[in-house]
Amino acid sequence: MARIIVVTSGKGGVGKTTSSAAIGLGLALKGHKVVLIDFDIGLRNLDLIMGCERRVVYDFVNVINGEATLNQALIKDKRVNSLSILPASQTRDKDALNKENVGKVLKELGEMYDYIICDSPAGIEAGAMMALYYADEAIVTTNPEVSSVRDSDRILGMLASKSRRAEEGLEPIKEHLLLTRYSPKRVEEGEMLSVEDVEDILSIPLIGVIPESQAVLKASNAGEPVILDTESDAGKAYQDVVDRLLGEKVDFRFLVAEKKGIFSRMFGG
Amino acid sequence: MADASIEFKGSSFTLTVLHFKTSKLIDIRTDLEKKVNQAPDFFYLVPVVVSIEQLEGNVDYQAIKNIIEEFNFTFVGFTGSIAKEQRKLIRELGFSFVNTAKANVSQKPVIEEPEIVVKEPIVVAEKPIEAAVEAEANSYSDKVHRGQIRSGQQVYAKDQNLVIIGSVSAGAEVIADGSIHVYGSLRGKAIAGAKGHHRAQIYCQDFEAEMVSINGNYMLSESMEKYWGDPIYIQLTDSELTLSKLI
Repeated sequence: MARIIVVTSGKGGVGKTTSSAAIGLGLALKGHKVVLIDFDIGLRNLDLIMGCERRVVYDFVNVINGEATLNQALIKDKRVNSLSILPASQTRDKDALNKENVGKVLKELGEMYDYIICDSPAGIEAGAMMALYYADEAIVTTNPEVSSVRDSDRILGMLASKSRRAEEGLEPIKEHLLLTRYSPKRVEEGEMLSVEDVEDILSIPLIGVIPESQAVLKASNAGEPVILDTESDAGKAYQDVVDRLLGEKVDFRFLVAEKKGIFSRMFGG
Repeated sequence: MADASIEFKGSSFTLTVLHFKTSKLIDIRTDLEKKVNQAPDFFYLVPVVVSIEQLEGNVDYQAIKNIIEEFNFTFVGFTGSIAKEQRKLIRELGFSFVNTAKANVSQKPVIEEPEIVVKEPIVVAEKPIEAAVEAEANSYSDKVHRGQIRSGQQVYAKDQNLVIIGSVSAGAEVIADGSIHVYGSLRGKAIAGAKGHHRAQIYCQDFEAEMVSINGNYMLSESMEKYWGDPIYIQLTDSELTLSKLI
């Protein structure tokens, strides 16, 4: 049975879809069978970030309503054939989703894949609740910024009480903190919350720190998940996240502002 | 009587007590007039219980009621430690006798009547509600919660003390009828003595609370800068919250 991982946050715009795409692709590149599901019905964007928006015929809601089979709706990634995407509908309503029909789809996917990554919409309403309900693990994406931390705390409360595992008294969802858009320079200047500050408030284990990077915007617009940009800090940091998810112990990089030497300041960027 | 159209419930209210120190109604009227004219709106229709404890001899209960109503108070009843016969007389005249918290209650109410607390009037806009019955702090057992209380969550320890082994996030609320202990950071709201227990206390290892309250007396974080980040405990002294360092 597949491991279901929800990428959630509470706050919008913190990097859930970027992270889902990067981590999903990273796991697939390591040989695992991965499916990415876009739970943001109506505001879909996972297919854009993955670069497969022109191959969407059927979507999640079509499958739920029995208008298409999973195999018709799933889009195989062109780069790694063990990775597929189940896009969301652009026109339909998220009311089409309920626990039973989502559970059925996940069960079917669970037999085909090793990892199911659910890209959650923002907020704490039905869409987000549906995305986290069946999760075994959660990657709580947080910016080092007060409202994001507060919203992440809220979503952690929901993970602990409104998930299937909570309702059935099973082992709780394994929670991971993913700190995105981190700027060590601003942390040193006291403008931004540090890793320690966020860990102190949220008290969940850290799975990665993704530095603020211009590579992310480039990657989104190109439809190439940033993990493929192996030169960029963000790409490297996502690679570390994938390794940690798979159980490796990796030191945290990009936590300290780079001190540029005189030569790189003269000749470098 | 679950399906009846009415329900009797015990409740606590703060009521003004007017202590009569003399039976001379002329003096009473003069002094009352002076007092009421200082702030007529404040006293208008205020429910008043008259204490006749300091009066000797026969008391003209009807006349007293008339004076009270003359000054536009809402007459509730009489009170005071007085002889059973006096109380009987008051009842026969058709007036209510209100028991204080400390007085020996010789009559047992057949139905659950609202318990009225007798209190001195103070010209202050807000006054907390005090319980008629003081629960012993030691009689409460502990409700223990292990783990974080996350933003948006609420924990209520009914008729118990609340012990949190973990932190209370900003935006969370922890409420107890007894005391609250937080073995961690208190960043949210803590409401102790929720049912009117003024000896309840709040303890925490790292004080960063948004708001704390004991028995309805509250303090916002704006006024608590001095102890920010310290391990402290909070208790209620004369209706004021006092913070003290734990270690």
